[in-house]
Amino acid sequence: MSAPEGGTLGLAGQDEKLLACVHCGFCLPVCPTYRVLGDEADSPRGRLHLMRAVAEGRLPPEDPSFHIHLDRCLGCRACEPVCPAGVPYGELLEHAREEVSRIRPSGVLTRLLLVAFGNRWWNRFVGTKGRILRATGLPAWWGSLYAGSHHGRPGGVGDAVRLGMAMLAASAPWPGLKGSAVPVADPESPDGSLDDSTQVGSSVEGLGRVGILKGCVQQGLFGRVGLATRRTLAANGYQVVEVEDVGCCGALHAHAGRLDEARGRARRQIGAFRRAGVEWVAVDAAGCGAAMKGYGALLAGDPEWADAAAEFSASVRDVSELLSMAGPRPGARVELRAAYDPPCHLLHGQGVSEPVHDLFRAVPGLTVVPVPDGGRCCGGAGIYGLTQGELGGEITREKIRCIHDTGADVVLSGNPGCMMQIGGGLLRAGIDMGVVHPVELLDESYRRAGLYGK
Amino acid sequence: MTRPAAGGDQHPLEPRMAKRLAEVVGSAGVVTEPGRLLAYESDALTRFRRSPRAVILPRTTEEAARVVRLLVEEGIPLTPRGAGTGLSGGGVAVPGGVLVGTSRMDRILTLDPGRRLARVQAGVVNSDLTVAAEPHGLHYAPDPSSQAACTLGGNVGENAGGPHCLKYGVTTRYVTGVTVVTGSGEVVELGGDGRCESLDLVGLFVGSEGRLGLATEIELRLVPRARGVRTLLAVFSSTEVAGAAVSDIIAAGLLPAAMEIMDQGTIQAVEASIFAAGYPTDAGAVLVVEFDGTEAGLDAEAEAAEALCREAGATQLRRARTEAERQALWQGRKKAFGAFGRITPDLIVQDATVPRSALPGVLARITEIGRRHRLRVANVFHAGDGNLHPKILFDRRDPELVERVEAASREMMQACVEAGGTITGEHGVGLDKRDYMHLVHGPQELEVMRAIQGVFDPAGVWNPGKMLPPAPDGADSQDTPGARGKGADGAEAKGEAGGEPDAKVGVEAHGGADENTRWEPSSVQEVSRLLAYTSRTGTPVRIVGRDGDPNSGARLRLVASGLPGEVDHAPEDLTVTVGAGCPIESLQDRLAASGQWLPLDVPCSRGWRVGELVARGEWGPLAPAYGRVRDLLLGAELVAGDGRVLQLGGRVMKNVAGLDLVRAVAGSRGRWGAVTSATFRLMPMPRAHAVLAWEGDRDAMRDLAGRLAVHPVLPASLVRVVAQPRETDSAGDGAGGTSVRDRVLVRLLGSSPTVDAEARELGTDFPGATVWTSQPRGPGFLDDDPVTQAVEGEAGEGQGGKLDHEEGVLLELRCGTMNGATLEGKLARLLPSGRPWIHLPLAGVWRVSLGEREVDAVDPVSLAGLAAELRNQGGDLCALRGRVPGLGRPEGPLDLLERRVCAVFDPAGVLDTAPILRGGAGSDAGPRSSPEAK
Repeated sequence: MSAPEGGTLGLAGQDEKLLACVHCGFCLPVCPTYRVLGDEADSPRGRLHLMRAVAEGRLPPEDPSFHIHLDRCLGCRACEPVCPAGVPYGELLEHAREEVSRIRPSGVLTRLLLVAFGNRWWNRFVGTKGRILRATGLPAWWGSLYAGSHHGRPGGVGDAVRLGMAMLAASAPWPGLKGSAVPVADPESPDGSLDDSTQVGSSVEGLGRVGILKGCVQQGLFGRVGLATRRTLAANGYQVVEVEDVGCCGALHAHAGRLDEARGRARRQIGAFRRAGVEWVAVDAAGCGAAMKGYGALLAGDPEWADAAAEFSASVRDVSELLSMAGPRPGARVELRAAYDPPCHLLHGQGVSEPVHDLFRAVPGLTVVPVPDGGRCCGGAGIYGLTQGELGGEITREKIRCIHDTGADVVLSGNPGCMMQIGGGLLRAGIDMGVVHPVELLDESYRRAGLYGK
Repeated sequence: MTRPAAGGDQHPLEPRMAKRLAEVVGSAGVVTEPGRLLAYESDALTRFRRSPRAVILPRTTEEAARVVRLLVEEGIPLTPRGAGTGLSGGGVAVPGGVLVGTSRMDRILTLDPGRRLARVQAGVVNSDLTVAAEPHGLHYAPDPSSQAACTLGGNVGENAGGPHCLKYGVTTRYVTGVTVVTGSGEVVELGGDGRCESLDLVGLFVGSEGRLGLATEIELRLVPRARGVRTLLAVFSSTEVAGAAVSDIIAAGLLPAAMEIMDQGTIQAVEASIFAAGYPTDAGAVLVVEFDGTEAGLDAEAEAAEALCREAGATQLRRARTEAERQALWQGRKKAFGAFGRITPDLIVQDATVPRSALPGVLARITEIGRRHRLRVANVFHAGDGNLHPKILFDRRDPELVERVEAASREMMQACVEAGGTITGEHGVGLDKRDYMHLVHGPQELEVMRAIQGVFDPAGVWNPGKMLPPAPDGADSQDTPGARGKGADGAEAKGEAGGEPDAKVGVEAHGGADENTRWEPSSVQEVSRLLAYTSRTGTPVRIVGRDGDPNSGARLRLVASGLPGEVDHAPEDLTVTVGAGCPIESLQDRLAASGQWLPLDVPCSRGWRVGELVARGEWGPLAPAYGRVRDLLLGAELVAGDGRVLQLGGRVMKNVAGLDLVRAVAGSRGRWGAVTSATFRLMPMPRAHAVLAWEGDRDAMRDLAGRLAVHPVLPASLVRVVAQPRETDSAGDGAGGTSVRDRVLVRLLGSSPTVDAEARELGTDFPGATVWTSQPRGPGFLDDDPVTQAVEGEAGEGQGGKLDHEEGVLLELRCGTMNGATLEGKLARLLPSGRPWIHLPLAGVWRVSLGEREVDAVDPVSLAGLAAELRNQGGDLCALRGRVPGLGRPEGPLDLLERRVCAVFDPAGVLDTAPILRGGAGSDAGPRSSPEAK
């Protein structure tokens, strides 16, 4: 590993943050892995204690216990809002994973993922191929094999492939959103090729210039969400401006402990948005939003970039926050009973809850039911379902059970990873329920209201 | 104190053993990797660290018992661990030991809203139970600040408290039964709501810090959620001024649910955290006061408290207007401990309780101690209870600083004890306070605790070295008079300083010691001397409360009614210490003069003395709302069966220093010795009093009582009187005959607006009530209320007057899973015609009084049959007073445990077993065979 640029390596220098933990244990009951396993080494407090032991030299970083329990962390950060001492767990986790990555190379799956989504050209390629494969219907068939039963060894290869297929299938738009009563007049460009010239309802009053993160997975498989974000922001008075597409925000790298790569991505994003001259950076993927709000901390040790990063992070908003600041203006009726499952990186990572409900309130006819224990992670967490199949499967099944109990028509969640994990989980459980991004729903409501013309 | 070195100092468990354990709990339930074990090296008190040799995580009682048997075979000591949120080192492994964690025992097994009971596995998180009970309008009352994380098993182990314990009481009040895995891996069921009370082993177990065994399942009482709440924040210039406001609120007769004070250091820590509650950071102190209950009276109470705060010098007053605002005020308080994390690397949260009136002085001393040792000390405390939590900020990497912290901690404890307090109110002794135990307990009391621990866990495998300081070398050496082995003589030496060593002198002065003798000692010293004599000579003796007890058989009697009855009332602390000889009525007179009372209404207890009240441990219809004797008792002086004079508990509201011997003194019925004085917590006298009575046929009244029991209005008492037709007036008419009518009575106590509103609401929801009201101005205000009249009148009807239960019998029945109506049908066939009974729905208890002649009319075989049937269904039938032949139950493991516990106090086995309820109410026992305990 190369020398650190703009930051210390691993857990060195993190003493003060680690010492903030007074071991009170308030984080235990909110940790999904502790709830399932009952092992304190798989709780936030336990993991912090292991990190501190490594930092103090009491535990060699090579110790498998250190790796195993860090690997099992979902990174959902549910422990952060309950921590009275304000321990920045997510940040420390990334440093700890960096510590691990010095000793043990990232897994094959992780590296594949980083290449597939981290590289802009590969990303485009994978996104296109993914959409083609998705369109064949094969993933939906494959992913729903043995639906509702526990066939095969959980965590096995067959299981992982079925999960992957189900997740791909679940990234497709939910057909139920465009009610059959409404004439189908689809203004959407084909997935993935955002029509850059679209200037929908450009701002008159001007709530400010907004640039939208295009991202990787989001752009590849959820292009419709990006368009919805663009249209709804514009409809609420923002001036949406073009930003050069520089690809992944670096969240995937940071979560894997590859902080140097993450810093590089961060600098590129900051540069792109700065060149576009925006006041706000809008993000419709909660994981990316949380990471970009953390650029300030990520680059704090880089004298050249620290100030710019802090300034940039202060301008990052989840799309729901921007819409909430504008009202948002109400649309037409969409009669739906929807279960809202907040993404961890929105609820815990960014502390955003009320703005999403403001968005829901702008959709007449919508009934939102909370998912019991809604703050609990769905088990998505990047490729967790593939690397920790058994544990991830158990966490996802519990989430699916809670969602099913709501009796809703559709699940709302504002993060591509969660949408795929939940959608895949529903498919595999044989439950017919769609998954929709909140902004897609508002977009549909606006479309029905004729805000976009005909 | 020797502190264990950092982790990794323990040999890991042998792989062979780990494999055997994994066969029981699965491989995910056995942790042996040294790195992984580091996560378990401390609880929330990080000063004490030791990695366990292994952590075992059983999922059921059965698995836990098998795990214990495997480990005990190898002589490996065990420590129970819940969520590791404790603050005394209780959940840290002992040298060579393993942890048995309850995190995978996290199921709520049953939740019975009708009986307001829940049965849970020990690893259920405290607040999860409240969440589960919420849809039924119920909640679990004890609310330690860590309630979102801590487990109920841990709460039981530590007898946890919390802010709302000011009004609701601590954990022990809510635990009705515990399933325990003992030191031999045996599973015993202590208590249980369906069982008649016997020796209070549950009370002994709660707060035993893992020394008596592992609690795997717990039966808990739930209480209705208050319908209204007012939370106010008062800002003061200093903690002293805030403390004065608290005293004023108590003195005014208000009873808040909670009163919490935070000082400036704490305020600043909280306000810097994400749980910032909006406390002004420049304030010297803030006081949070909460009232809960029926809506109607709350505003008046809150306004009164606000006025008092203003008079005391509050610079700012704020009332939470929304639930979110209220939560913010509480979150700030409850997360205060953790909030210090961002301003200090390490932190010690101290815990001590003092009489409330001593708070200002103690606070000043703590400040002074902190200053002298150059330490940063912040303070937060349950002001209503006098429970302080000084927080000392430090960095454990600086050894010199750690030394100063330890010195200051010790001095703070000394200051609290000197002020009449105790060394821990709710966090427990664990490793942290063990060396301070001698500050509050003498060698005799410690010896008793050690001996009881030995009864439950003879091999000493459970959490050895915690809580109880080790016995001094050579327990009966000269410097520990009265220690075990020395027995009676030692006690006497203490009881009568420099007195005559020959106990016989005292005995002769009392008329000898033959079977017909009646001793009536007039001082504690005399009691001590006499019991020392009987113990030494093996003379059987029975301790009785008063004369007029014909049941003692051919046996020497020690009558306790002549003991002194001084009343030492501390109105500002809401406590009283009273001698055993004081009649209850005189005590209530004295308390009433200060507007306070002891909220007990034991039926037909006129003429009883305080000693008898405590020894019997009985309770009346007020108990579900106000607690039983055991819940109101803070301390007692007991002359043990061998003459040792023991000081149990103290004079403070919360006290978890050592085994809780106080609970079980109540109801020990002369089996431990003679109670010579008692300290109670008191209540402000209610301002208003009303009784609503309905009359109707059997089914209607049963249904009404059932609906009242789950109605959101929480009455002070709920009684159903079931009348029985006499054969002469309505032969063949059966139950529900027109000539006899059943009644349901509800007693309401509280402030005038509350009682008025509650009476109106019940009157509207359940029409047809006759309403009776009074203003409780003086003592004995319950004597003539319709509830007392009904309960005592029915008790005495058969005799044409008040029944003296020394001649008759008072039966108590608990239905378990049997249908209440079925039970009553069987009861009706069994009892003589015309004999009514009462049903106390909130306690799940039926009671029948039988006069002397009526007892003979009951077929003993049928009665024993009903008893057996009830016991088979988790219920019970026993004689609370008097005796019925044939009611005894077969001996079980609990009887052995009880006898061994009693033998700790009465090693010679001379005290009478006749008053024992379990298995004893029938079989008139002679002198006991030699006790098994050694």
